[in-house]
Amino acid sequence: MTPDFPNLSFTLFCLLNTGFVLLVSPFYMSLIKKVKAAAQGRKGPRLLQNYYDLRKLLHREVVYSPTSSGVMRVTPYLNLAVLLLASLFVPVIFIPDAPAGIGNIIVFIYLLAIERFFTALCGLDAGSTFGGMGSSRAMSLSAVIEPTMVISFAALAYVLKTVDLHEMFAITSASAIPVSPTLVLVSISLFIIIIVETGRLPVDNPATHLELTMINEAMILEQSGKNLALIELTHSVKQTLLMAVLINILVPVGLSGGPNMGDLAVSGLLVSGLAFLVKAALLAVVIGLFESSLSKMRLFRLPVFYMMAFFFSALTILMEVFA
Amino acid sequence: MISPLLTDPLFLEGAIKILFVFVLVTAALVISARNLASLLTTYTIQSLLLALIAGLLYLIEGSPVLLSIAALTFVSKVLLIPFFINIVEEKVKIRRDMKFNYLEPTSSLMVSIALVLLAYVFLSGFFALDRLFFFGAVIGLSLTLMGMLVMFSRRKVITKVLGYLTMENGVLLFGIFVTELPFIIEVLIIIDLIILVLLTTILAVGIDSTIEEYHQRLLKLKIWSGREYL
Repeated sequence: MTPDFPNLSFTLFCLLNTGFVLLVSPFYMSLIKKVKAAAQGRKGPRLLQNYYDLRKLLHREVVYSPTSSGVMRVTPYLNLAVLLLASLFVPVIFIPDAPAGIGNIIVFIYLLAIERFFTALCGLDAGSTFGGMGSSRAMSLSAVIEPTMVISFAALAYVLKTVDLHEMFAITSASAIPVSPTLVLVSISLFIIIIVETGRLPVDNPATHLELTMINEAMILEQSGKNLALIELTHSVKQTLLMAVLINILVPVGLSGGPNMGDLAVSGLLVSGLAFLVKAALLAVVIGLFESSLSKMRLFRLPVFYMMAFFFSALTILMEVFA
Repeated sequence: MISPLLTDPLFLEGAIKILFVFVLVTAALVISARNLASLLTTYTIQSLLLALIAGLLYLIEGSPVLLSIAALTFVSKVLLIPFFINIVEEKVKIRRDMKFNYLEPTSSLMVSIALVLLAYVFLSGFFALDRLFFFGAVIGLSLTLMGMLVMFSRRKVITKVLGYLTMENGVLLFGIFVTELPFIIEVLIIIDLIILVLLTTILAVGIDSTIEEYHQRLLKLKIWSGREYL
C-alpha cells in the first residue's frame, strides 16, 4: 500500500523529524562529554557547549589546502544532506504515511556508508599524512564492521519480519510484550554498532588528537571553519539516528502514530518528543559510562569486539528459528 | 503490583528467556575476556543468573528441589567459589591471560556459533520437550560446549579452571531443564567443585604459568621428581 505523495503527514514529518534531529543532536554529544568528565572527576563542558562551538565555527573562515580538490569543498554539504535524508528513515517523534522506500533498512545502511566513504575521501584529499592514515584505518575497519552491521540489521529484519524501519517501530510500539529475548540480543549488537560507527572509546578516542590512536579525528583534521561545523553536525546527527534506532526497538514507549494515522494532535507530538529526549539522554549517559569504563583497544584486537556483535546477531537469528 | 506478575507463567517464561540471553552474553565474555578480574566477575554473574533462573522456574513448577538448587548455587557459586578464586588471583602475579592455544577469541566466537547450532540440531533429534524447556536444554548444552572451548583454547591454568566451572554451569542448566537430578547429586557436584577450587588455591604456586612452565617450577621446588614426566 503506497499512500499518495505528497501527503500532509509526510510533509509534516519531513519538517518536524529532521528539524528535531538537527536541533537535539549536538546536545547528546555534550551530554556524553559531560558524563565522561563526571566519571573522571572533572567538571566538563556546559551542556550547550556544542551549540556555542558550532556557532563560533560557522562564523570562521574556511581554509583549504592548496593540494585539495573539489571533494574537500563538496563533502561537508554532501554528508550533511545524506544524513538528513537518512533521518527520514528513522522516525523519532511520530510514524508518518511514508512513500514506499523511505524507511528501507538496507538503503539506510548504505546512506551511512556513503557518508563514511566521502569522509575517507576527504581525509585523503588534503594530502596530509594524518588524513591518509585515518582514512586507511577507517576503511579497513569498516570492511570488518560492515558484514556485522548487515547481519545485525538482517537479524532485526528477521525478528520483526519487515525491512522497513517505520514498520519495525510500528510493530515494536504496538506489541503488548515490552521486551522479547531476541530483541534484547539484537540490541546488544546495535549498541556495539553505535560505539563503532560514532568512533567511541574502545574503537577510537573522540577526545584526542594523538596521532597513534586517531581514526575519525584524523580524517577531519584538515577541515576548518564552516565546513568543520557541518562535519561535526553530521557526526552528531549520525549518532542520534543510530541511538534512535536502538531506543525505538528496545523501549518504543511514547512514539506516537501508526502508519495510517490521519490527524496528529499537537500534545501527542510534544509528549513523544519529550519521551525521546528523556530516553536518548538516558542512553547517552549509558554510552558515557560505557566509554569511561573501558580503555582504548589495540587496533588489531578490534575484530574481537566486532565479532561480539556478529555473534549476538547470528544467535538472534538462530534463536528466532528455534525459540 | 509485583505478586500477580510472579504468578503469571507467561511473564515468568519471558523473564527466563531474557535471562538465557544474558547467560549467552556471559559465555561470550568468558571466551573473549583477557582480564582475570573481569573473567571472575563474569563467572559470578553467570552463576547468579543461573540461581535466578532456577528460582523463577520454581515459581512456575513449584518443585522444592529447584528452590534448593537456587539457594545452593547462590551460596556456593556466587559467594564461596569466587571468594576462593579471588584469593588465588591475589596471590598470583598475573592480571591478564593473553595466551591462546589453537584458537584466538575471534575464531572461538565463530566456533561457538557453530556449537550452539550443533546443540540445537543434536537435541532436536532426541527430545520432544516443551519450548521453554527445549530452549533451556539447548542453552545448557551450548554453555557446556563453550566452557570446553575455553578449557582448550586458553593456556593459563586459572582460566582453564574458570572454563571448567562454566562447563559445570552448563551441566546444571541442562540438568534443571531436561532431567530432574536428585538433589543429593547436585550437592555432591557442588562439593566436588569446592574441593577443586580449594585444591587450586593450594596449588597456587604455579597457577600463573602455563602447564610446561608449571612442570619446571614443580621440579625446581622439589615438589615433584618429574620421573614420570621424563
